[in-house]
Amino acid sequence: MILLDRVTKNYNKRGTALKSITLHVEPKEFVIIVGPSGAGKSTLLKLLTREEKPTSGKIIVGGIDYETLKDRKIPLLRRKIGVVFQDFKLLANKNVYENVSFALEVVGMGNKEISKTIPKVLDIVGLTGKELSYPSELSGGERQRVAIARAIARQPKILIADEPTGNLDADHAWDVIRVLEKINKYGTTVILTTHNQDIVNKLKRRVITIRDGQVVSDKAGGKYK
Amino acid sequence: MGRRLTGFRRVTISGIKNFFRNSWLTIAATAVMVVSLTIISSAVVLNVTAKNAISEISKNLQISIYLKDAASQGQITQLTQDLKSNKSVASVTYVSKAEAQKQFNQTFKSDPTLVAGLQILGTNTLPASLEVSLTDLGQITRVGAVPSESKYENIVDSVTIGKTDVKKTIARAASAQHFITLASIIMAVIFALVSMLIIFNTIRMAIFTRADEIKIMKLIGATPTFIRGPFLIEASMYGLIAGLISSGIVIAGIFSLGIKISNQAEFTATYDFFTSARIIAAMVGGSIIVGIFVGVFSSLLAMKKHLRLKTW
Repeated sequence: MILLDRVTKNYNKRGTALKSITLHVEPKEFVIIVGPSGAGKSTLLKLLTREEKPTSGKIIVGGIDYETLKDRKIPLLRRKIGVVFQDFKLLANKNVYENVSFALEVVGMGNKEISKTIPKVLDIVGLTGKELSYPSELSGGERQRVAIARAIARQPKILIADEPTGNLDADHAWDVIRVLEKINKYGTTVILTTHNQDIVNKLKRRVITIRDGQVVSDKAGGKYK
Repeated sequence: MGRRLTGFRRVTISGIKNFFRNSWLTIAATAVMVVSLTIISSAVVLNVTAKNAISEISKNLQISIYLKDAASQGQITQLTQDLKSNKSVASVTYVSKAEAQKQFNQTFKSDPTLVAGLQILGTNTLPASLEVSLTDLGQITRVGAVPSESKYENIVDSVTIGKTDVKKTIARAASAQHFITLASIIMAVIFALVSMLIIFNTIRMAIFTRADEIKIMKLIGATPTFIRGPFLIEASMYGLIAGLISSGIVIAGIFSLGIKISNQAEFTATYDFFTSARIIAAMVGGSIIVGIFVGVFSSLLAMKKHLRLKTW
């Protein structure tokens, strides 16, 4: 599903963010990436969403080789990858329904299809009945679940969650993680970055530890060290 | 196809919403554009009017060469050819004594005493003449000098060159037309630049206020067209509305001011021209097209600078 072969990323000003990283993620896997701030986690995710280009190395996601990917095809790639951020990135002037439908409108889904899809995804993230609430009226956990609903509404093959629990208290964090597990069970590859030791240890999934731009450990059922 | 249509509809709706979102900027941008479009179309109208009026007045500009009775047909032909050798001479018409009489009777038929008076003097009173009409006002003196040459002394009785006051009026109108053209081009350019600048800023503001939305759109796979679309629609709305308002102003001006001078011979044709349905439609359409062009052009500049669609 995801293949990184000796990927290096240099920033002109900040030096090297990733040093020759090689990774392989199978379809339907649930992978947790851990590591201290500045270790290169965010850079890795930005490479996957093609917000950044690698300095060297090969990236292949879902059969698409990024090296030969034309700029105008990037939108099509992004439609296959759902992304969730620490700060939710919801649109404050749109309610829950509109925030999710916005993502579907952008990719050109018809209104009928949208009105069929949204109740399903809101059910998955446990927000049925909150359709008309605005982000400001929701708790942090609920907001993050709206963001997840938005990311999965297009049924991406891969879901990237960049510290989705970073701004949440323990209870809400677990709500979000359970939703991610559910989505993974339905067949979506999930890549999660987090600082939350408790979550990593209890999930017992594959854990990749990155430090100073390098993979220092990669273990199934791993722990946060 | 259905998807495309849905996309186009969404982009349009989103653009129209943005247009109404920031009402002050919208009003400012539209107002400045109304001013520039009004200046541009007024300039066109004034130019056409001045040009038509000048050519209408110029039609009356003639040189009348009164011939002596002794002039032979050969001499008259010689003079006619000589006159025609000047390119600005449009026509040379020979008016015989009989025709002159007829024209006199026609002109003064409402004044029987004059006609009767002429009859008393006899039918031979009015001289034959050559009526020369010109296309170029500047050549009138030169052409007028031809029959005064010594070789025509025997056949030419006298020469009348237009009316001096008409000449002056035409000269004044022509210089006014030049001034109007120049001034309106300068004004139009200035105001077009100002409205471009304002629309550029309006779209820039719209891009900044919607930065989050745009960022999210990029990340969830919106195409550049889908992101640009609303801004183009918004900018086109300025052009559309400003075009309608400004052509409304200009057309109202034509009807309210034009009607007052429409019965003067030199303006009648112009007034009829500008008040015909075809020209009104063309003016409205033209203003809208120019407005949309200015709007789209400036928003494209703003997007190129601030939307950063090059980096995904």
